[in-house]
This record gives sequence, C-alpha cells and structure tokens, in this order.
Amino acid sequence: MLSRTAEGLFWMGRYIERMENVARLLDAGQRLESLPKDPTQDYNEWSSIVVASGASGTFPTALEDADVAAVSDHLIRDISNPSSITSCIEAARMNAKAVRNAITAEVWEAVNDTRLQLHEHLRVEKDRENLSYFLDWVRNQGGLALGKIENTMLRDDGFRFIELGKWFERADATARLLDVKYHVLLPEATDVGGGIDYLQWVQILRAANSAVAFRHLYSRVVDPQGVVDLLVLNEKSPRSLMTAMAEIATLSDKLASELPIQQKLASDARNAEATLRNTSVDAIFEHGLHDWLTDFIAATNLRAQATSAAFGFGVDYPPATKETVQ
Amino acid sequence: MNGDFFNEMKNGATLRPEYQVVVDWIERNGIDALQSRRAEAEALFRRIGITFAVYGEGGDPDRLIPFDMVPRIFNATEWQKIESGSIQRANALNAFIADAYGAREIVKADIVPEAMITKNPAYLELMNGYRPPLDVWAHIIGVDLVRTGPDEFFVLEDNCRTPSGVSYVLQNREVMSRMFPELFRDGRIRPVDGYTDFLAEAMQAVAPPNCTGTPTMAILTPGQFNSAYFEHSFLADMMGIELVEGPDIVVENQKVYMRTTRGFEQLHVIYRRIDDAFLDPAVFQKDSMIGVAGLMDAMKAGNVTVINMPGTGVVDDKAVYTYVPDMIRFYLGEEPIIPNVETYRCDQADDLAYVLDNLSDLVVKEVQGSGGYGMLIGPTSTKDEIKEFALKVKANPNNYIAQPTLSLSSAPVLAEDGLIPRHVDLRPFVVSGATTKMVPSGLSRVALREGSLVVNSSQGGGVKDTWVLNAGAV
Repeated sequence: MLSRTAEGLFWMGRYIERMENVARLLDAGQRLESLPKDPTQDYNEWSSIVVASGASGTFPTALEDADVAAVSDHLIRDISNPSSITSCIEAARMNAKAVRNAITAEVWEAVNDTRLQLHEHLRVEKDRENLSYFLDWVRNQGGLALGKIENTMLRDDGFRFIELGKWFERADATARLLDVKYHVLLPEATDVGGGIDYLQWVQILRAANSAVAFRHLYSRVVDPQGVVDLLVLNEKSPRSLMTAMAEIATLSDKLASELPIQQKLASDARNAEATLRNTSVDAIFEHGLHDWLTDFIAATNLRAQATSAAFGFGVDYPPATKETVQ
Repeated sequence: MNGDFFNEMKNGATLRPEYQVVVDWIERNGIDALQSRRAEAEALFRRIGITFAVYGEGGDPDRLIPFDMVPRIFNATEWQKIESGSIQRANALNAFIADAYGAREIVKADIVPEAMITKNPAYLELMNGYRPPLDVWAHIIGVDLVRTGPDEFFVLEDNCRTPSGVSYVLQNREVMSRMFPELFRDGRIRPVDGYTDFLAEAMQAVAPPNCTGTPTMAILTPGQFNSAYFEHSFLADMMGIELVEGPDIVVENQKVYMRTTRGFEQLHVIYRRIDDAFLDPAVFQKDSMIGVAGLMDAMKAGNVTVINMPGTGVVDDKAVYTYVPDMIRFYLGEEPIIPNVETYRCDQADDLAYVLDNLSDLVVKEVQGSGGYGMLIGPTSTKDEIKEFALKVKANPNNYIAQPTLSLSSAPVLAEDGLIPRHVDLRPFVVSGATTKMVPSGLSRVALREGSLVVNSSQGGGVKDTWVLNAGAV
C-alpha cells in the first residue's frame, strides 16, 4: 500500500474519532457548568475544556473569559482551530476523498454525508440553538462512520491503518478528558464520596459514556480511584487507555513487515502495553494523576510520530527503507 | 444555426430506424417517466462521486456534468467509418511524432516545414533522438469528430497530450444500463467494458527495456483538487493499479520508486495525468510541486515508460493539424478516411487576408488553445468582439487558424416537454500499444443552449451515452 494512502486512512480514522471526542468534551463542559457551586471557590470548567481539547493556543480570547458560547463556537465552528468539529469533519472527508479507492462506498458516503449535513446544521445555527441536540448528532455520525468501517471494510492493512488512527486518538482523548478534572478543581482527598468533587467525577464518567459501566463493574459509589481504574486500567472499557494500548500493540504487530524500523515499533508497543498492564491505581496517584496523564499523552504522541516514520508518512519523514520489497 | 443542420434522429421528415427504440420507449412510458429517470440518474452520479471540480467560481466546487438521458446512436456502418478513420489517424500521428523526434523524413520530403516541429511550443528538444518502446508516443489519443450529414464526418482536432473524458463514457453506460435494462437486454448495443483492459494491456506491452518481469504500473495524478481527479481514481481502480502523486515517487539511480508502507517498490509504467511542463522539475518548470524530479532521466535510461510520452503535444497544435491528411498519405500510403475541416492558416498571407475579410463567418482558434477558450465564433459574435479579435490576429497571425462555421449535426436531448435537437460532437478514444484499438463508443458532448456550438464541459456542455449497434441490428 502507498504510504500516502496509509497516512490518509490513519488520519481519516483519527479525525472521525476526534470529532466525537470534541463533542464529548463539550458535553462534559455543559454538565460541569450545571453543577451547584461553592461561592468561595473559583470555577473554570469552560477554560478547562479548552485546555483539554488542546485548543488553548488558538482560543481567541483570554482563557479566564471562556464561556459556553465562546468555547462551543471555537470547538465547533472555528476553522482556525484544527481540532474544531468543523475542521475534523472537513479533514476526515478530505482524507477520505484522497483515499477513495481504499475505502468502501458506504464509508465514503457516511463521511461525505456528514459534511453535507454539517453545513446545513451550521447554516440554521443548530449548534447555537440547541447544543445538546447538535452534540448528539455529531456522536451519531461518528458512530455511523465507525460502524460502516467495521461492517464493510476488508480486514486488510487499510482497515488496520484506520483502526490504528482511531485508537491513538481515543487514547489521547480519554487521557485529556480525565485531566479536565485537574484543571477544574484540584482533587481533595477528604472530599471523596460527596460534594462537588464527587459530582465532578460523575460528570467526567458521563462524558465518557461510562457512568452506568462504573456501577456494573464496581458496584460502589463513584470515587477517583474507581474512575481512574475504569478509564485507565480496565480492559473491559472501550474507552480505557489499557484497551487502546492493547489495540495499538496488536495492530502495530499485524502491520509490521520484516523491516527493522517496523519490528521495533511493534516491540515498543508491546512493551508499553505490558508496562501499563503492570501499573496500579495507587502507583498512578502516588506519581500524581495530572503528571502521570501528561507523561502518557506525551509518550502516545511520540509513538504516533514513530508510527508515521516507520510507515513513511509525510514528505518530511525519511522513507521507511530503500530496500525493494517484491 | 440556420436550421438546416443534420438531425441524427431523422432522415428528412421520417424517423431513422436506429432511434425507433427511443421513440417507442417514450410512447410506452411517457416523457414524465424519462424526466424522473433523469433525477434518479443524477442522484446516482452524485452518490458514486462522478463529479468534476470547478474552483474559483464560488459554491460547491464538485459539479455534475449535465447528463442527457437520450442516447446517441450509431449503426454498424457509421461506426465502421469512425473506427477505421480514427485508428488510421492515430497511427499516422504516432508515426509523425516518432519522425519529428527522429530522422524527420517528412521534412526532407518537403511535406511539413521543419519550423512546424522545432518552433512548436510543445516541442521538447530533450526528446529528440529518444525511441520509446514499440515506437509508440501517444498511447491514448482523443480524436474530436463532428458530423454534418448522413455520411459526412470531419476531424475537428486531435488530443495527444492527456485527453480526458473516457470515464464518462464508461460511467454513462453504467448508469444507462441501470436505468433502461430492457433496452440492453437483447444485446444489440455493443458493450464498452473493454476499455480499461485495452489500456492495461497497452501499458504492459510498452514496459521499458530494463523491466524483465511483469511491470508495476501506476497513474500519476496532480491530486484531488484537479478537475479530472475522479477519472484518475476511477481508471486506477478499474485497472487495479496505484494512484500516485508526485510526493509518493522517488527517483534513485535512474530508477523510479513509489513509497509504500513496506518500503520502496519500483515502478515501470506511469500513466501520467500531469502536463509536460509540470512533469519533472529537474528539466521542466523548477517549481512544480506535483511532478517527479529525475523522471526524464529514468525514462531515457530505459527504466520507466511514460504515457503519453512527453512532447506529443506537437500534434495537438492546430497549425500542425492542417498537415495530418498529408501525414496519412506519407506514412501509411492511404487516403484519409475522415477528412479535416477546411482550415485557413493565418501565418500565410493569402489565408490571413481571407480570414480578416470574413471573420463574421468563421471560427478562429489559437493554435495551442483548448477547452473552448480564446476562440472567436464569428456568426454569434458582436461587431465589437470581431473588431477586437481582428487586432489580436493581426498582431500575432502565427498564433491563429480559422475554419468555416460547420452546420454541426444535432441529436435529440430531453427538455421540459419533450425532445429537442442540440448540437453534438464525438470524442472516441484510441489506445495504442502492441496494436491500435478502440471501444465501440466515445464521449458525445452536447451543447445545451439552443444554437450553441460549444460543447466543452468547462463551458456548460453536457454528455450523452453513445451507442454503437451490432451489424444487422437497427
């Protein structure tokens, strides 16, 4: 497969996943904002959403002034923000068009229709009039596209590159979502089980579509240890870092040819998976959740770059090898 | 324009038998049924993504080419003439290009002046002396034909660079056979399926000398913003070969490689859909972002074949066009089966004088123009437009040729309340490799405005499916 095609598939997968995650972050913002407030504390849920989405660099005004209107405009409509929902949908569609021969007609139609509908939604200001409705629509379209990929694509390298992009993006997004809690309000160990801290953790779970899952898996009141266990270490969760790392390791393994740079990529991914598997919740809190997440996000980012280099993505990267493969 | 042009559906007042099926269908189902099929067909085109992109005019850049539901029909005898005439022309054009970059026998024989070759803007000195595999230079040639009577066809121009439009031939047929399966059921219409097989076969046949095994082939596209990107992607898909862009390709030690997820893979045959000027920044335009540096070098070293060969544009020139009938006589020893349109060359004093005196009756074109741009259609132009154009011609006569306004034939197209006649042309595609072949069809382009003679899609023309009937079938 052409490196450019693989790259297009990888980014199509990432952007489809990202549009859904940006919608989840905005949903978390709405939920956090609606919580009862302690008048002696400073709250900044909307600025924390901007930080978590990675858009603090493009956000047009001072972060302290962030409110629902400014943040949702920046995260939905603003094309100067490369991760806004509009930018994600345009980029997913652009990549899909460039790799049109490598995806099925149904995947193409799902992505192309999403773009057509988005323009209609923006025109009638659906996102401004009814944010929740719009965010539901975004999540549904993301689900539709991922479902079409799952249900209609051949299980070949093309499919694996899309999946790889999706899991890299999800690992990054779950880590950032967990980190929102740090930016909103530092956790107070004494406050566990009740009050604002508890309510904030519940909203994070809801945004990750995991509040009910928490009940099923832990049968106890939501606490920080449980949330971190579920979203970081629990392999049963479709959004946990553990699940994402296991998928990345399997996919890297299947995609690797005998080329040394790809063999190294796969073995590094397996090692990272094993390290995470041997980590405990206590160890994470001992390290400091925010610092641990920051390290994880940076390491995942480096792994994605190494993946790009190993498969020859982008003209800036040195080609994978000069050997000819028959 | 004056109403006495040839209507392909009729023979005087009577219906030609080839079109009986169309009339029967409409009588059976009604014109409204045809209208609603058209809406279905457009939805199908949009869904499959058969669009061409127009940038810089605002709105959605992805446009549909207007598709007319009434097929254009040729009988076996008519097609025999079109086919043999187009193949003859393609063979002569290939022989001329080989000669132009070779011994120039036709110049020595005083038939074509040397300046027609060496002063031609499309002439590439670096190709001089090069001999491509099987001596084929233009592997794909689009011959633009017009018709003026039951048995009168003319060649309007030759397209030997990178003619486009063949994907519409194949897709129009696909859509028509889905819309009107009953009309195709008895097998009287010759299928067009073979095109991509012919092309793949021709590409394999011209593998470079240093390629010993099965050649690896690809289509080189400028990318998804090119107006014909759909066609590039469609052809690559149909032939099962990669669709590559400049940055996917690296040349090393005069060999061409594409960057794959498993390392470099050598490419042997490249069907490029990029103009000569952008093909290789090492020898042509230095700032080309879409080309492949070192491609020419690799080609000359016998490691890659480029389709069509660079420099074939010399025969697209409308002044060179006037010599094609002589080329047919010189290289093939045959009389042209399909003649040229009578053409006045403004670089000749007599012709120039005649052209300037008769501008309001003539069509004047730039010798290197294409796409319906930069031309004057005398009979439909205002006095001021004609005056202005006369100044341009006088300032640079070498740049222009002129032709009489032909009464172009018309074919029926579907309008609000029935069928109306509109002018059409035909572009069959000739494929040359070990042999020279055509599929029995071509791109019929139709002018959608009443009286208009301009059929180019960039100028609002539409397309039709083109049927060729089996011998004996009417």
